[in-house]
Amino acid sequence: MFAEYLTRGVKAGVVAGLVFGLFMAVVANPLVAYTDELNHATVEESGHSHEAESAHSHETEGTHSHETEGTHTHEAEGTHAGEGGGHHDTAVSMAVTKVVSVAAGGLWGVVLGGAFFGVAFFFLEPAIPGPDAAKSYLMGLAGFITVSGAPWLVLPPAAPGAEQSLSVATRLPLYAGMMLAGALACLSAGYVYTRLRESSGSVAALVGAAVPFALLAALAVVAPENAVHGALSPTLETGLTGLFAFGQVLLWLVLAAAHARFRPSSASESESAIPTAGRDSAPAAD
Amino acid sequence: MATANTVNGRIERARTELSPTQMAAGALFIAALGFTLLFVQDPLVHDSLHNFRHAAGVACH
Repeated sequence: MFAEYLTRGVKAGVVAGLVFGLFMAVVANPLVAYTDELNHATVEESGHSHEAESAHSHETEGTHSHETEGTHTHEAEGTHAGEGGGHHDTAVSMAVTKVVSVAAGGLWGVVLGGAFFGVAFFFLEPAIPGPDAAKSYLMGLAGFITVSGAPWLVLPPAAPGAEQSLSVATRLPLYAGMMLAGALACLSAGYVYTRLRESSGSVAALVGAAVPFALLAALAVVAPENAVHGALSPTLETGLTGLFAFGQVLLWLVLAAAHARFRPSSASESESAIPTAGRDSAPAAD
Repeated sequence: MATANTVNGRIERARTELSPTQMAAGALFIAALGFTLLFVQDPLVHDSLHNFRHAAGVACH
């Protein structure tokens, strides 16, 4: 049975991975490359105005050696405008980044599908409220809150090239901590909902289930502030943040829909057969 | 019964269905995967995931 659940989760992951890989290839890759380039051009522009011309060119050679290399190949190729050009301080070319990122997008779907809809769903299914198909969507919502939603309350997706006031060493534990807080909020909301619905009805249960999420939001307010400062226009940055958030919402939605869809037709029978068997055997034991 | 439809029932079911070796292998695999994702900050790996990390909303620069 465990293997069936894992297979079903990974299958949903493959579907979502295909969709998200496509999103990476046709939307995120070109946009990140373009905004990186734009951002870098703006930074270079301001560098020109601040420094003497000779000092600036010297600095370019010193710190952005790879960047100049990238521009060189771009000139040699002639066709790919700015490919690798605006992408400074990097160990690999933009072309490699694009291919690896698309592959990572596909694997991202598979990993989330396997972990959340395979393993976690197997254990938590009995505790998730609602009919069978709704369980998949609730799992998707909980997964989104855990992996992205909760951390984003503190560290929303940053636009390419934006400077952030908190250091990476601070942000990584903060991100992980908010993921943990998000998971706990989802689990306790489910627990509170199930408990309260039995005792005081579904309205009280819904109110009770909202409490952990309110606590999560309060935690996000208390968490250290991360000021993001980029060279891009604020409107463009808002749009990029929104787009990347939308991408993750889409990923979880496809995961949940595919998972609900892949429900084996026999599963609903065997699920209902299990409690029946239990009830049958109980009087026999008496 | 071990198949009772509760979370505890599921844990019990996984325990009976999977051999200790399978569970150890699974735990090791997940630990290895997590370790790789968290600590392999090799510039080659890290930078080639740049676009993906932006799309996933986890930006490190």
